[in-house]
Amino acid sequence: MSNESSTQAYADATRAKGDALIEVSGVDKYFGDFQALKDININVGIREVVVVIGPSGSGKSTLIRCINRLEKHDRGTIVVDGIALSEDIRNIQEVRRETGMVFQQFNLFPHLTVIENITLAPREVRRLPKREAESLAMEMLERVKIPEQAHKYPGQLSGGQQQRVAIARSLAMKPKVMLFDEPTSALDPEMIKEVLDVMVELAEGGMTMIVVTHEMGFARAVADRVVFMSDGQIVEVGTPEHFFTDPREDRTKLFLSQIL
Amino acid sequence: MTSQQSDSRVRPPFWRDARVLRVVGQVIAVVVVFLLLRWLFANLVDNSRRTGISLDFGFLNRPTQFQIPNHDEFDPRSPVWQMVLVGVKNTLLASVFGVILAAVVGLVVGIARLSKNWLAAKLAAAYVEFFRNIPPLVIIVFFAFAVFLYGPLPNLRESIEIGFPGTDHNVFVLSLEQWGMPSLADAGNLAAFGLFLAFGLVIAVLVWRWRTRVNDQTGAPHHRVLWALGVLAVLLLVGYVVLGEPFRITWPTLGENRRRLVDGFAINAGFISVAGALGLYTASHVAEIVRGSILAISTGQSEAANALALNGFQRYRFVILPQALRIALPPLINQCLNLVKNTSLAAAVGYSEITNLTQASIGNGRPAVPSIVILMGVYLSFSLIISFMLNVVNRRMQLAT
Amino acid sequence: MTAVENRPAPVLSTTPVEWVRERLFPNVASSIVTLLLLPVLIYVGYRAVLFVAVNGRWEVVTRNLTLFMQGTFPRDEQWRIVAQIMCMAFALGVGASTAASAAADRAREAGLPVARQQPLEVVRRFWPLIAFVLVLLYFASTVTPWLVVLGTLALFLLGTAARFLTASFRNVGWLLMALSVIAGFQVVSGTTGRSWVAAAVVVLIALWTSVGLEGLDRLPRLAARVGLSVLAAAIVFGVYTLIPLSGVGWDRWSGLHLTLWVSALAIVLSFPLGLLLALARRSTLPALRMLSTGYIELIRGVPLITLLFMGQYILGFMLPAGSNPSSITRAIAAITLFTAAYVAEIVRGGLQSLPYGQTEAAQALGLPPAKSMRLIILPQALRAVIPAMVGQFISLFKDTSLLYILAINEFLGVRSLVHAQPDFRSVAHAETLVFVAFGYWAFAYAMSRESQRLERRLRVGI
Repeated sequence: MSNESSTQAYADATRAKGDALIEVSGVDKYFGDFQALKDININVGIREVVVVIGPSGSGKSTLIRCINRLEKHDRGTIVVDGIALSEDIRNIQEVRRETGMVFQQFNLFPHLTVIENITLAPREVRRLPKREAESLAMEMLERVKIPEQAHKYPGQLSGGQQQRVAIARSLAMKPKVMLFDEPTSALDPEMIKEVLDVMVELAEGGMTMIVVTHEMGFARAVADRVVFMSDGQIVEVGTPEHFFTDPREDRTKLFLSQIL
Repeated sequence: MTSQQSDSRVRPPFWRDARVLRVVGQVIAVVVVFLLLRWLFANLVDNSRRTGISLDFGFLNRPTQFQIPNHDEFDPRSPVWQMVLVGVKNTLLASVFGVILAAVVGLVVGIARLSKNWLAAKLAAAYVEFFRNIPPLVIIVFFAFAVFLYGPLPNLRESIEIGFPGTDHNVFVLSLEQWGMPSLADAGNLAAFGLFLAFGLVIAVLVWRWRTRVNDQTGAPHHRVLWALGVLAVLLLVGYVVLGEPFRITWPTLGENRRRLVDGFAINAGFISVAGALGLYTASHVAEIVRGSILAISTGQSEAANALALNGFQRYRFVILPQALRIALPPLINQCLNLVKNTSLAAAVGYSEITNLTQASIGNGRPAVPSIVILMGVYLSFSLIISFMLNVVNRRMQLAT
Repeated sequence: MTAVENRPAPVLSTTPVEWVRERLFPNVASSIVTLLLLPVLIYVGYRAVLFVAVNGRWEVVTRNLTLFMQGTFPRDEQWRIVAQIMCMAFALGVGASTAASAAADRAREAGLPVARQQPLEVVRRFWPLIAFVLVLLYFASTVTPWLVVLGTLALFLLGTAARFLTASFRNVGWLLMALSVIAGFQVVSGTTGRSWVAAAVVVLIALWTSVGLEGLDRLPRLAARVGLSVLAAAIVFGVYTLIPLSGVGWDRWSGLHLTLWVSALAIVLSFPLGLLLALARRSTLPALRMLSTGYIELIRGVPLITLLFMGQYILGFMLPAGSNPSSITRAIAAITLFTAAYVAEIVRGGLQSLPYGQTEAAQALGLPPAKSMRLIILPQALRAVIPAMVGQFISLFKDTSLLYILAINEFLGVRSLVHAQPDFRSVAHAETLVFVAFGYWAFAYAMSRESQRLERRLRVGI
């Protein structure tokens, strides 16, 4: 491909479908002297599902953790739903209310029951009364298909069930965008499917999602765009079809050959 | 969707700015503490001026003016700082003996608790559960009062003397104030004998290394402990004969008042109360630490040792104990520190360590504030030294990763 | 292939002879140990039994039992102490059963098995304390102690009726317990002075947690909180002024009574201080961290007796002229400051052991730091360090014996009063010491067994 059309294709790929919900421009992030993110530019539009893949240490987790300020970016701007992330604690709190995060290690609160895990944030942060919060929680548990576990403790559930509770916990805050940090990497193989099914349903329901994962089947099925990161940079962005069948960059080809 | 548009280059209002809040938080904390300390200190200076009691350390150079019990060689006219040194020396003495006693008894009890022998295990458990749950002060007071002062002695006789059968000498003497044991006294050539001893130790070390080398090269059992001790004993015997009785044994004999010894090696009741009681008390904690550290070694280690056909003794010596020691050393050093701090309880029984002397000196009119500051300084120094040792030990013992 | 049937396991039982051979004489070394220990054990046991049952001059305890229990507390006000014991028994009953039924509810909802406490189990759990009470009754020369023990049991059982409260009324149980504790304290120390402040704080906390303030925005909620505070303070203050009850201030308490109260007060006061110190030490603000670390390392490097001396001799100089807190106030302050440093280290260990993912999950949900600390981090961290905390409190209980050195007559120190009497000047020292040691041992051993039990349950549980 000629240089111009590749730049054009790149520009088309970085411009989001629909209105941009998340705008990341010129972001650098350092851990001491080590640069984990190098000049990241990407926009994610409403209802878009973006899957981020790459080798370990490529900065994919760091990127999404910067989006809800679990990490602080050192240069550049990140704007989520019109709110710019800065030292302003009110902004940070608002962004965290509008984003939901699902962790690799689930991070459920072991001393609270499932339903208490889910109702905690709506009651304390959005000030919902107890009854409303609980019916909302049951609705979320129905969505992830485990309403009968409401009064159990996380320790009594399997890994797949715990991760689904974690998804329900984030959904209960009615976020505008859901961030997934390798949600199935800590699960036994037989439980990965049940979690991926929930995520597919979410995507088809119109949720804006950024998913860091190694599950290529999921990417192929529901992603609108696939982003390949390596060494802190975005190497290639494209639709799943183009990405998996005809990647442009050599690094992408190398990575794909190792995992597919 | 343009709710709070703000360029990140524009600073948010200061009451929401995370950086500003951090700085302000620290400033407030420092200011509050500073004001509190200043108020306390101002009151201190004020009150001391009012009552005429001084705050400086000049009293250290003035004469002590009271006698330290059981220290006949101490001159009440010597300056206070010499009294402080006596106190520190006594604290160290009691601590060292207490630690040695605690280590020996604690190790034995800890291992006994893990033994398969039901009697040994149960007795060890009873020892630990008994001593751990009683305040150390009660044990010290028990030794001082129930064993010595008001103990069996006034009922029986003035003193107990256990004689060496067939001779006039006593092997062990217990009076109202002291224990007596045989001791060595110079009969002419003690210094030369000391040289023999040093020489003998050097030879013993060389023998040790020779036997280790033999074992490396030929695989024969080295018996190096027996060899080294044997050579040492032979050399000491030779030295004794050659030097013609360089020392003699002094037997403990009571003086006229039947309370204090004039010969032999005397230990004061106060010292035994403190060192002995604290040793036994701390031994119960040491036993638990020893037991816990051995139990913490995973069973997989024992299984691997057994699979390699090591016998029980070898398993303990090469696999279990080295690892257990690594785990046990930090809490053991902590117990050491606790024992040093607990010697301060001697204030109740008349053993003249530093806390007791400080209390006495305040009672005799010395200024309280500087005295207590010195007292705390002494213990802080001990604790800093021991913590430093702990850090060094921890670092040396880190397993390589 | 035909399946193999299940057959019953071979029964292995040991006869007494086999047991002796296996446990006492398995090999040569062990047999030697047994042969050495057995005579020593028999001899020591023989002397001990002689001492306790035959030779011991136990009338020193019988005649001075009241001194040991309550020291120099005025004899004609003894009814106050009895009333206090009753209130505490009731509070304990209410508290224990409220906690148990709350736990049972949660377990039942989660589908976990609910543990029931049999009375025999309770006796086995607390046998050291029961033994101590029986020993006290043995030494009692009047019928009063028996009545007190029976009354205590009765009120405790009355308190356990709280388990019939349903979940929505559980806060009533906690409030009742708090009020009983306050009543128990006040019935001895009187309602004069500033003690109403502590009571107001407790009532306040109870009101804050029980009145449902959800669904309100920030400003109305703040107003409601302030309103409740004023209400609580007014009610308590009113009650206290309407019922003027003179009392015996804690400067005049002594004996076992004083030991128990000094321990309890120091525990309660040192806990929040230690918590704050631990949070400060882990704070990202360097100033807070340095101040907190400095305090903790200073306190942990010196023995408690030096702090008690400081309280005794220096505290008077540091306060404005004219204020002269009593010996016991100073002692409690010193012990509290001392224990807070150790509590801080324990809590810090707990906070460090919590996986950082918990904090991140709370942040990701939008919980502000204060809320996440209160609802997520602290509950887990504190639960993890309960055994270490109980160990620290046992140490505190034993350390109250140091007040003896300050000539305060707590349980150990009251011996000086006993032996000041002409009858007991130089006799029976061992007997009184054994009695005092037994008292300390009973409480400390019971507490340590409870802590071990808790440790076992926490490890097995969720």
